Amino acid sequence: MRLNDCDPGFKQEIAREPGGQGIQACFACAACTARCPVGELKPEYDPRRLLRLAVLGRREEVLASPLIWLCCSCQSCSEVCPQDVRCSDVLTAIKNLAARAGYAPPSGQAMARQLAAHGRLLTVGEFENEKRAELGLPPVSEEPADYQAILGAEAAAPRPAGEGA
Amino acid sequence: MCPLSAQNTPVLIIGGGVAGLTAALELDRRGLPSLLVDKGPRLGGQARGFCCKALVSCARCGACRVGDLLEQVARRPGIQVLTQALPVAAQRQGPGWEVTLIPQPAPEGSAPALAPALAMERPLAQRLVVQAGAVILAVGHQVFDPARKSRLGHGRVPGVISAGQLEQALAQGGLPGQARRIAFIQCVGSRDQVLGRLYCSRVCCGFALRLARLARHLAPESAVTFFHMDVQDYGQAWRAELAEMRADLRFIRAIPGQVRRGQEGPVVAYAGEGGQPQEEEFDLVVLATGLEPPTAAPAFNEMFGLQPGPEGFLAPGAGVLVAGTAAGPRSIAESIEHAALAAAQAGLHLAAGQPAPRGEVAHA
Repeated sequence: MRLNDCDPGFKQEIAREPGGQGIQACFACAACTARCPVGELKPEYDPRRLLRLAVLGRREEVLASPLIWLCCSCQSCSEVCPQDVRCSDVLTAIKNLAARAGYAPPSGQAMARQLAAHGRLLTVGEFENEKRAELGLPPVSEEPADYQAILGAEAAAPRPAGEGA
Repeated sequence: MCPLSAQNTPVLIIGGGVAGLTAALELDRRGLPSLLVDKGPRLGGQARGFCCKALVSCARCGACRVGDLLEQVARRPGIQVLTQALPVAAQRQGPGWEVTLIPQPAPEGSAPALAPALAMERPLAQRLVVQAGAVILAVGHQVFDPARKSRLGHGRVPGVISAGQLEQALAQGGLPGQARRIAFIQCVGSRDQVLGRLYCSRVCCGFALRLARLARHLAPESAVTFFHMDVQDYGQAWRAELAEMRADLRFIRAIPGQVRRGQEGPVVAYAGEGGQPQEEEFDLVVLATGLEPPTAAPAFNEMFGLQPGPEGFLAPGAGVLVAGTAAGPRSIAESIEHAALAAAQAGLHLAAGQPAPRGEVAHA
């Protein structure tokens, strides 16, 4: 590893994201890894290693890693962390940075396209509209015009795929 | 009966452990009498029960220094000792202090085998007001209660003990039970923001590793695993020792996430070499507990009008010096140096009749 390949500002960038502040307190003690259920199923998934790479400024290596998307946000790591790092919140911050940098996984990108095109990820049918009626909400259909009317003009100009995960 | 009718002393030293004993000796060396008081029935403090960690040669743990200090203090007529004396109030008197001491009952079943009574230990008989030119607070530290870190199983999982408990067992001659697979877990109660103990306790690495080496010596067929974040550096000689220990013990750079009850002994969950969670059974798990501020720190802050020191330890004030672990985590050798410095500062304070320099602060 060469220092020239590292981005010393990366950890601050993560710390500025909501939930990302904890990265600055990490001692890399690996209590998180010891209790991680994802690591039990996927041996190469190691939260300590991901956070350490991030602290070292291995920006591209972290953001491009498919492993960051495996965190299931069970918060086992937050429970055992002596430093209150909130590891899964830090990983959410990293995921947000990765999505903005265009590294969202294909499934996330597909969801973003679906959301942009139809305003929803699930089909809306009679059941949903009955519930909406009970709550005093207008009915919606599969037509994009509906969600555009509800969300306003901004939603009508969806951002390119890869930014919405 | 107590021979102190004058109730006047140049320096009042509160706490008769390593730091208090050293301060008294250092003042005596400078021709200054002192009154050394302790709330308990025995001098020597927490280090009095420590065992020698030597194998073939001295391990420089400092445990034997306590006996030396006690012997020297007993021989100096300039040092007066009062035990079972608790300071309850203090008032500023010119450059010094007027401190009220009250007698403490002898605790039930006191005088354990390790601490027979010494000739100079004299219990306070009645309420006493002491006029002192300066006060040295050498009230020591508190050891972190490992049960507060409940996921590490202390008090819950059989076979999980604190480093202090292992020390006691070794001092009495051997490893508890038939312990052959031994794990040490470091930083229990230290470097822990959740507990509000962000600092390194500094002594636990050396303490635990010396205990580990002693355990290996007593039971050569035993295997020791050392779970740690990093290892404190205690200088050149230590680095050579550490290299030997690295060859002899299994060092794992990970703090376990949990200790649970297993078939035979405690099971430790930790991050394995490749970063995968794994579990391993041991016969004995030893938690290296950290050093906390003395429980009486807030009471002393209020009594002497002191600003709270770093991490809740004590900081010096006008006419008040702090010596040893009361000011922050330090080893026996470091406490001796620190207490000698506090005694020298008390001497300066008496000579000048003004507050002693306040520059010295605890390293925490």
